[in-house]
Amino acid sequence: MPDPRRRRLEIRDVVHVYEGKMATRALDGVSLDVHENEFLAIVGPVGSGKTTLVRIVAGFLTPSRGVVRWDGAPVMGPSPERGYVFQEEAIFPWMTVRDNLAFGLLAQGVEASEREKIVAGLVTLIGLEGYERAYPKELSGGMSKMVEVARVLATDPAILLLDEPFGLLDAQTRSKMQDQLSRLWEEKRKTVILVTHDIEEAIYLADRVVVFAPRPGRVQAEVRVDLPRPRSLETRFSPAFLELKRSIWKEIGRA
Amino acid sequence: MSGPVRRRLWRALLSLGALAVLYGIASQIGSALLPRRIWMVAHYIDDVELLPPYASLIEETVFLIQSGILPRSILVSTGRVLQGLALGAAVGVPLGLSMARAARLECLLDPWVTFFRFTPALALLPLYALWFGLGELSKILLIATAVAVVTLLGAYQGVRDVPRVYLEAALSLGASKGLILRKIVWPAALPQIFASLRIALGLAWVTVVVAELIKATMPSLGYLLALAGAYPRVPTIAVAIATIGLLVLACDTVALGCYAVATRWMKRSPAHA
Repeated sequence: MPDPRRRRLEIRDVVHVYEGKMATRALDGVSLDVHENEFLAIVGPVGSGKTTLVRIVAGFLTPSRGVVRWDGAPVMGPSPERGYVFQEEAIFPWMTVRDNLAFGLLAQGVEASEREKIVAGLVTLIGLEGYERAYPKELSGGMSKMVEVARVLATDPAILLLDEPFGLLDAQTRSKMQDQLSRLWEEKRKTVILVTHDIEEAIYLADRVVVFAPRPGRVQAEVRVDLPRPRSLETRFSPAFLELKRSIWKEIGRA
Repeated sequence: MSGPVRRRLWRALLSLGALAVLYGIASQIGSALLPRRIWMVAHYIDDVELLPPYASLIEETVFLIQSGILPRSILVSTGRVLQGLALGAAVGVPLGLSMARAARLECLLDPWVTFFRFTPALALLPLYALWFGLGELSKILLIATAVAVVTLLGAYQGVRDVPRVYLEAALSLGASKGLILRKIVWPAALPQIFASLRIALGLAWVTVVVAELIKATMPSLGYLLALAGAYPRVPTIAVAIATIGLLVLACDTVALGCYAVATRWMKRSPAHA
């Protein structure tokens, strides 16, 4: 039984400066804890360092100062333990859906028959039966995003880092994706950090929403989301949802 | 065959046909007007057809094929081109790949690449003739040099242009360096490598023709051209040029076919679909 109060990710006083002609201070002393199976959303305007923070957690970037610890050990670089879903299209266009889904398993030396089994399960999970041999160019934007999420889930990472995963999709597809992600999360129960500038998306999916202030990025407020699960379309119109939305907008307005 | 391909083929045939008709008319008028006797270097040469009509061209083609000169020349020259291409690509592509992946190697090699990039391979001809003799080796090495420089640049740029997001995705999925090279970098760079191979192929044909001008002991297309120029026999020159043109076209078509198969996964604009 996982302990919901067990701290898994610890972000301490993280400062990040992008060097260059005009050095940009992207993060200014951010501290955050993320607990076992918690769904945390980070919202904030463009340029508030949200992406920088998750890139540091993923290990793609080394912070200028401060430390990120995963289960007590400092993060030294990318690891399949921390699955990452990108803003851009990141599924490999030269691989079929099946090969994309199997890539992480291949990288970890899982043998072929086992790979087949896991991939088949994932295809069913995201409802893409019949598309196993298709190339990404034959998929819609929403479908390829879901393939990317499933590809990360294949190796069963301990935490899922979602960097504006649905930012490039249209509003309708996005809300469909949110439902699918919410269902997936309830089924799998994972620790998740979702970065988004869509406040409704954050409330709809998360247990806790952290509001970032821009330039330099820092934590401005934290809002706990106690909406009952499973969440549905009705949730989006409930008074509690609207109340949360109002309070987050107020926080942003104070920045 | 799909619609657009057939349409393009038709257009090509139409333009070639129009050109052929124009040439036919020009050569018929020309053979009556142009001098048959020309001054070359130190003496007059009689009975020269400066603009041979179709009859002489066909006669010449039949002779060159029946005597076995043309088929053997094609075999020899094509063989050299393919050997030079294989050798050059086998050196250029791996070097380009590793140069793009290793900053230290890039510092060492970059000045040399820049230097050789603008040195026409033919400028190396006298040097290669001295080093490697006048036989096959220097000819093939000359082609290989030209091919290596072009494919090196293609492979280098191909690797450099691999979007960062794919490399990061592979890393965070736990891929090793070897796996990333095989499954990410290589397929992502392949379109550019193929494009550079196509350019290298054209360059290989240019190089082989000139390389064959020196000390030719075997029938080859370059030798045929040199010989025909010395006599001089314009019909032979014309047939040799047309043969080389057709061979380049055939090679390019094969290369394009390989490219299309290797990049099935790419999004294409409708015009190229």
